[in-house]
Amino acid sequence: MTTKFQRYLLNKFFWFLIAFFVALILNFLLPRLIPGNPVDVIVGQMGAGGGISGESLQKIYASYIEEFGLDKPFGEQFLIYLNRLAHGDLGVSFALSPRRVQSLIGEALPWTVLLQLPAILIGWIVGNLLGALTAYKKGWFDRALFPSFLFVSSMPYYCLSIILLYVFAVHWQIFPAGGGYSYSMSPNLSWSFISSALEHYWLPFLSLVIVFIGGQAIGMRAMSIYELDADYVRFSRSLGVDDNRVIGYIFRNAMLPQITGLALSIGSLVSGALITEIVFGYPGIGSLLFSSIRQSDYPVVQGITLLIMIAVLVANFLVDIAYGFIDPRIRAKATGDR
Amino acid sequence: MNALRRFWLISVVALLVVALGIAPAMAQSELPREETLVIAGFQWGPPSTFNPLASNVTWPAGGRHQLVYENLFAFNLLNGGLDPVLGASLEYTDETTAVVTLQDGTHFQDGEVLDSEDVVFSYELARDHDDLSYSSLFDYITGVTALDDRTIQFDLNPDQLNIGFFENFLTRIRILPEHIWAERAAGDTPLSSVEEDVPVGSGPYTVMDFGIERVVMERDDNYWGMDVYGTPAPTYLLHPIFNSNDEANLAFQRGEVDVSQTFIPQIWRMAESGAPVHTWLNEEPYYLPGTIPFLHINATVPGLDNVDVRRALAHAINYPLIAATAMSNYSIPAQASLIIPSGGEEQYFDAEAVEAEGWEYNPDEARRILEEDAGATMGSDGIYVLPDGTRLGPYTAMATFGWTDWVAAIELVAQSAQEIGIDVTTEYPEQPVIISRRNNGDFDLLIWSLDQGGSSPAAPWGRFRDALDDRGVPDFGETAFWNWSRFSNAEVPDLLDAAAASTDPAEKAELFSQLDSIYRQNIPLIPLMYRPFEFYEFNETHWTGFPTADNPYASPLPEGSGFQMLYGITPVGQ
Repeated sequence: MTTKFQRYLLNKFFWFLIAFFVALILNFLLPRLIPGNPVDVIVGQMGAGGGISGESLQKIYASYIEEFGLDKPFGEQFLIYLNRLAHGDLGVSFALSPRRVQSLIGEALPWTVLLQLPAILIGWIVGNLLGALTAYKKGWFDRALFPSFLFVSSMPYYCLSIILLYVFAVHWQIFPAGGGYSYSMSPNLSWSFISSALEHYWLPFLSLVIVFIGGQAIGMRAMSIYELDADYVRFSRSLGVDDNRVIGYIFRNAMLPQITGLALSIGSLVSGALITEIVFGYPGIGSLLFSSIRQSDYPVVQGITLLIMIAVLVANFLVDIAYGFIDPRIRAKATGDR
Repeated sequence: MNALRRFWLISVVALLVVALGIAPAMAQSELPREETLVIAGFQWGPPSTFNPLASNVTWPAGGRHQLVYENLFAFNLLNGGLDPVLGASLEYTDETTAVVTLQDGTHFQDGEVLDSEDVVFSYELARDHDDLSYSSLFDYITGVTALDDRTIQFDLNPDQLNIGFFENFLTRIRILPEHIWAERAAGDTPLSSVEEDVPVGSGPYTVMDFGIERVVMERDDNYWGMDVYGTPAPTYLLHPIFNSNDEANLAFQRGEVDVSQTFIPQIWRMAESGAPVHTWLNEEPYYLPGTIPFLHINATVPGLDNVDVRRALAHAINYPLIAATAMSNYSIPAQASLIIPSGGEEQYFDAEAVEAEGWEYNPDEARRILEEDAGATMGSDGIYVLPDGTRLGPYTAMATFGWTDWVAAIELVAQSAQEIGIDVTTEYPEQPVIISRRNNGDFDLLIWSLDQGGSSPAAPWGRFRDALDDRGVPDFGETAFWNWSRFSNAEVPDLLDAAAASTDPAEKAELFSQLDSIYRQNIPLIPLMYRPFEFYEFNETHWTGFPTADNPYASPLPEGSGFQMLYGITPVGQ
């Protein structure tokens, strides 16, 4: 039995590795297919504003092409890329040279995680509770909430961001319009800084969590309605078991697919709020990726997509394994043992 | 225990742990607003490095800022001259020899003396470091030597004599401490790749703190220049890093930003709404012009290779409308000249010649030129066809995606052209794409200024050179760093060289006039509008006494010679 489970794991791991390698190649290739040469931008920016002669720009151009290795053939660039990667080195940003890609990502990542993780967790908990509740209560409760869930979850999350931004930051000016904290402070662990960070946190957080709640609630509602019809629910009710306890039963049983959703959401956490960050000028990975793409900053784009890719692959891998554990039918099917 | 309840309990505990984990309170971290001048619009995107030799330098270590690193002189936008910074005086002892004397008592922020050797060291770096922005220095000078510890002699290259260019270097090359940089210069890492988080310069401010949201500078009360210039008013300079103009402009309107360099459409409306917002001028065009965005024309494209067609196009463009809409009235209508008709260049602007040889918005004249001079006939689709069968279009006019004023301008160019029967459509690629197509000549029509098109000691010479000089410019298909239209004219090089070497204003004006005439006869590019060298707005909620046209004690920018504004402003309420 254990060997079969090991085989299941190995099999999954093998596919995981293949997906990883294909993704690596794409990750290297795709940014380079964007038209436009990054050195053009660097040199173009140095030239803009005047005062630097064309002769200087010519020399700088040649020197940067060489420094960034862009004069080498694709294959060689790929090998250099793999070699650096193996040493945990993501290279030097073109646009923000000589800053290293690791340090740029390291600076942006905490913002994204702190924005997304609570939004996903709270959205997931509240959404599932509300979904189970609407399914159970039915009546006016369901008639009022279900269409609202449908409405917010079908709205692209960036639309909600823009609406919130306009209403609460531009029109009523209750919340700041952008940034991660008030720029009159430096990041530290004082209450004044944390409260400033929280003030900047609300709008992007709400825009994410509301959509997430809606989506989760719809899924949970459907699952719960299905469960409500199950024999154990009827039986409990006929015994007069109290409502909260019944909801608890339904909740637990309807949860399995929702857990997959949670794992995948956490896996795509890094990329999940790209546009929200851009809309609110939030200093996370999304803002960094956006500016890097616009400047053809290959190393940074690659670094971020690599991170996203690994997170998604690992999450999928873990979900697969968890399923193998949780549900013996899946494991059996995968190992051909029916 | 109920699963649900356990779930809640765990969640709440987890949140509490997180909240307590980051809770330990520290001292108040906010900068005192009345001692802080908030500056915006110079730093976009996360800080990279304070290494002034890098390609992307974090404010204020780059550009013409004199806050951390200082230059010998500062360019004065108002009169085109040089103001002293580290250098006290500049004298020409003969045609090819310049001598700079340093101010007394100059030292770096770490206390080390700044003398002639540091100057020579900083300039000499250009000899064998191709990655520096001033790597072409030794095309223009043959040597730089320390006569004693306060005076430096520059030997100008008699074969490429260019006073304006030389003086431009004096305002751009930052004086670095040799005791720190000598080792770096000798190392293997290119100087532009050296990381620098704790810059040591000679200026009045040091870096206090920086991150993705902001850069903060603190006044150095040991600054050598306090004896000469006094004490800068703000204790702190804060530069918030905004992600977009909209965000920056909102903060500026609310008084959260004091001085800004961003494009604000219809700024007078901000003032009308009650915000204490001002610009250099109280009325149109509000700003000083400093550069010219041009329509570059690829004269190898059939149809556009005909000078009559180019002339017709020049008459077709609605310049007043571009100035009013695309430039939000911050420009007068563009005129038929490579010279900016005001500021330091006004002395060279020949209004009569522009009137006699030039063009202005006149669609009827444009059609007349096409029909009578070019002999074109209108096709059934409303587009003209030349006698040899060349249809005028479709041509593509490009502007960079997201550069709203340029996009609006190129849209109006296309409309104007369509109206008189030249088929022009628009396209908006991202910046990397447009730069590479521009350099390689892969365009029909394109809006861009010129790299040396801005106000500087070398203007307007640099603009003529970049627009008309074909020396060193490869053919279409290869990367060109100036003259993207690949214009060629046998008379131009001699005239350019003579203008570069001339020190006599009258002679210079005459030479520029001749170059301008050649330009107008051939029209390889068309001025579309005038743009401020940089935008300059200030909000007097917290600070007052900023320089304006009525009180021009400093240039309209906290950059170049505008650093003097730091000595002129006072906090509101004092």
